[in-house]
Amino acid sequence: MLVDAIRAEGFRLSKNRNALFWSLVFVPVISVAIGALTNFVLKGSSTKLLVNGKAPDQVKLMLAGGPLDLGQALVDAAGNFANPLVLLFVLIGAATIYAGDYRWETWRLISARNSRSNLLLAKLAVVAGMALAAMALMLVAGLAENLIKAGVFERRLTFSMTGEMAGRFLAFTGLSWLRILQFTMMGLLAAVVTRSLLAALFIPLVFGVGQFFTTPIGMQMGIMPDAWLAVLVNPGAAADAVKAMIEGGPGAAALPDGLILKAWLSLALWTFAPLAAALAWFPRQDLSKE
Amino acid sequence: MSTVIETRGLTKTYGAVRALDGLDLSIPRGGVYGVLGPNGAGKSTLFRILLGLIRASDGSAMVMGGGVGDVSAMRRMGSMIETPRFPPFMTARQVLRWLALEHGVGAEVDIPAWLERVGLTEAADRKVKGFSVGMLQRLGVAAALMSKPELVILDEPTSGMDPPGIQEMRALIRSLADDDGVTVVLASHQLLEVQRVCDRVAIMHKGRLVREGAVSELTASGERLRLSVNPLDQVAAILGARGARDGAAILADVPRAEAPALIKALVEAGIEIDEARWVGADLESVFMTETGHQETPHAG
Repeated sequence: MLVDAIRAEGFRLSKNRNALFWSLVFVPVISVAIGALTNFVLKGSSTKLLVNGKAPDQVKLMLAGGPLDLGQALVDAAGNFANPLVLLFVLIGAATIYAGDYRWETWRLISARNSRSNLLLAKLAVVAGMALAAMALMLVAGLAENLIKAGVFERRLTFSMTGEMAGRFLAFTGLSWLRILQFTMMGLLAAVVTRSLLAALFIPLVFGVGQFFTTPIGMQMGIMPDAWLAVLVNPGAAADAVKAMIEGGPGAAALPDGLILKAWLSLALWTFAPLAAALAWFPRQDLSKE
Repeated sequence: MSTVIETRGLTKTYGAVRALDGLDLSIPRGGVYGVLGPNGAGKSTLFRILLGLIRASDGSAMVMGGGVGDVSAMRRMGSMIETPRFPPFMTARQVLRWLALEHGVGAEVDIPAWLERVGLTEAADRKVKGFSVGMLQRLGVAAALMSKPELVILDEPTSGMDPPGIQEMRALIRSLADDDGVTVVLASHQLLEVQRVCDRVAIMHKGRLVREGAVSELTASGERLRLSVNPLDQVAAILGARGARDGAAILADVPRAEAPALIKALVEAGIEIDEARWVGADLESVFMTETGHQETPHAG
């Protein structure tokens, strides 16, 4: 029954070209286009930048024409999958999936013949798949961008992937996926409670922006960033701590004792609490008023 | 006689409003069953409860032998509630494919055949956002029927359809019951259509069941003798509560066996009788009487 619901939800998404374009295609295409443009602009200004010596180190390195390691580029890309741009556009698709049946008044067509929890979990499964697809396309875009960079700056391409790098790649990918799902689950709860597509999109976004302010406000109130409360209310900082741990090196060594445990709890709380609330609320909801 | 729907004391309140007020209803298996009632009678509320869209405030409801929300029982039922809506970016064919997957019958459904059966073959690959209300109704009916349910609930299935469409829908509903053995429960305001297509009806008013029975019984029980007589007032006085004015005539609520004696008595009283004929009650007059929209027979 859950399988039926997942297949149906996936089929419906496959026919929604707008949602697919904005959620999956737009950001990778724009990333490649902006990346290529930046590379061409930098190449055009390279003589000037090198002569006056004002170029940042990263740019100097790029202009120097050393080898470009695609393996390292993959690992870096995985660590950056859950960037605000990807989040925003995946949320557009997620909001369409979560709130679509309210918007199109189609709950009455499907709710009698499957359990409501199955219907909700099917949406979640499709969004989770969509997030993975978005990440895969971002990876392809990252590779394309690096190929363009190598061509523009005449850099040699190399590929190294040690076991440690592969582990870091998988860990970053998992963390990014969890982070994207975390936002979409807030969208799920918002959709179920408000029956509104806009709420399903904007409530998680407002929450994401709000996280930037929790740490400074907490410090004003005398709550240190590694305190339980500070970590629990700020899953963004929790994700950064876990990312630093995955990266290793001095950043990981500088993490306060016990912070990683708090960070995982924070991530789990913000991921599963909205889902549990939506699953508790939805079966009691009056679906005659869509 | 086995039942497909059974409600006991079913009640639904919205604040101070009682949309359903202790409804006891048993709908037998087989045939076409009409649920009638004026706006606000509780028909849609009843259907919404049966489909699990809303919860009853009190009482119980069974569908196909299972409680409301029993998915295995509900999977043997199809439904179309009010004008159906669909994701606007999908074509008619895609809508049926999507719902077939959703209902767990994806591989079994012959979608072109269903599109043809509801007259949407030519519009099969058009996006539903451009569909008229009648086309949406047809697609909704196909969606309700394609999983071969044992019970189908249709709320206003001919709403927005043109006369040929209504005729086709009537034939489709009858063939479902007669040829496929499906029990069809429908609500409609088009009483003539209901009389033509339904075997039994329930008349609801203010959330309660006020009349239930076979259409033939309900209409037969309302048969009256229409008398064109002079003077009218004198006949009305003779008939008392058994008479009701009908324009320049009077309708006498008397059994056929008593009619000769009544006519003889009127002639003996010096009444001129221009015409005396039996008029059968149609479902509309039964409905109007039961829902308080028409005066009951009385001396005018």
